Order: sequence, then C-alpha cells, then structure tokens
Amino acid sequence: MAKTRKSLIKIKPKRYKDGEIVKVSFMVMHPMDTGMGKDKKTKKIIPAKYINSVKFEYNGKVITTMTVWEAISVNPVFTTYVKINGKGKLKVIYTDNTGEVHEKSKKIKPKG
Amino acid sequence: MQRRDFFKKIGTIVAVSAITPAISFANEKQKSPNTMNFTTAMDTITGGKPVKTSKLIKLKVPEIAENGAVVPVTVNVDSPMTEKDYVKAIHILSGKNFNARSVDIYLTPANGKAMFSTRIKLGGTQEVTALVELSNGTFIKASQSVKVTIGGCG
Repeated sequence: MAKTRKSLIKIKPKRYKDGEIVKVSFMVMHPMDTGMGKDKKTKKIIPAKYINSVKFEYNGKVITTMTVWEAISVNPVFTTYVKINGKGKLKVIYTDNTGEVHEKSKKIKPKG
Repeated sequence: MQRRDFFKKIGTIVAVSAITPAISFANEKQKSPNTMNFTTAMDTITGGKPVKTSKLIKLKVPEIAENGAVVPVTVNVDSPMTEKDYVKAIHILSGKNFNARSVDIYLTPANGKAMFSTRIKLGGTQEVTALVELSNGTFIKASQSVKVTIGGCG
C-alpha cells in the first residue's frame, strides 16, 4: 500500500503578495471507485475505494476540511481560496476509505 | 490502411465506453453502505432547521451535461469572511444519486473568499443543490437541475 499517488498543488496567480487572496487547487490521481461498478472482463464488482477526507493546513493551522463521498469524479480536483499570511508551508493531507494516508506540501513565498 | 485501422480502434473504444456505464447501472441493484436519501441527508445536516433559498449563493453547473461522470460544480457565496460573519460549511447534494451527499466543505475566515469547485458524478438527470451554513447558524440553499445524457454512477 506504499504506492505513491501523483498529486499536485496549484496556486493562481503564480506571483502573489502578502495578504493577497489566491486560488489554490489540489489534484490527485485516484480511481474513486464507488463499489457499484463491475469489471468488464472478470465481471466482478470493483470494491469501493474513494477519498474520505481532505485537509488543508497552512503553517500548522487547519484552514479547510472536506468530507468526501463516492460521488466525486475520477482524479478529483478541489479548489478553494486561501489568504496569504506570511512565509510558510501549505500542506494537504488526504485519507482513503481503505486507510491510505498521503500528504503533499508546497512552500509559500510571497513577493513584495 | 494503417490510418483506417486506427480509426476503427478509436471508434470501438468510444462505443464501448459510451455503452458500459448504462449497462453497469442497470445491472446493479445492490446498495452501497452509505446510501442516503436526499431528504434524510438534508435533515441530518440541518437538524430540522428551516432552509431558505437565497440569491447570495451562485451555483454554477452546466444545464446539459453530456457525461455524467464528470460534471463541474462551482459554488460562490457572497460573504465578507471575517471572524464575525463567515461561511461555515458548504454541502453539495444531488437529488437522485444513491448517496445524496457529494462533498461537505468546512471553511474558516483564513480562506478569505467563500468559493469551492470540483467535479462530481451524476447518475441521471436531477437537481444539484448547494446547502450553505453561515456562522450565525442559519442555512441557505440554491439549486439547479442538470440534464444528463449518459449516467456516470457505477
């Protein structure tokens, strides 16, 4: 289960100042199986595997939490706004219904 | 000849992928552990409190979605997002999915703007609702119906 999943944190705009509100999107490569679909070849039901919760942390402080169910598309994207408040680290932690826990972080460097 | 083969292959792939969601959805009658009705979902979130439809919420969903597996949803709430007055939570609900709840987002004033966007799956033509909880405990909502040509659940 130590398989690494590709994930990405995108901040828009790329250059930002202190105190500015920026758009942050988090993307993961995840199958998001609902547990209702069948495999085409083996005709067996694919077991449910979906992201349970997503947490946004900025300098150790929890900003946004999300409770997620099956009805989110494959390779999900979650977009919100975050207010820049000094240098630091933006960390995203997400957990799976099968117990997988991953995290991804990005440095925040406001300019000017 | 190579080009012809290539187009043939592409055609079969498209046809198969277009048909399979419908078949799998028809075959499956068994229920998921978190099956939840729309009204019970609303009740569990609000706790029986009244919900008003409000123009403060801007729900952006396509009126016609060709593929139910990928429906972009954007919720924008007009709020100052200060310590006293901010949006506590945004719930995205769907009317006819086997589990009505899609995502719950819990925001804080550190977000600066009350906005959320993602992509959801819809099993068929139905209504998508954004239920918003404000910091003073009141609930507001906005909904829009989406016509889905190919279902995306399953």
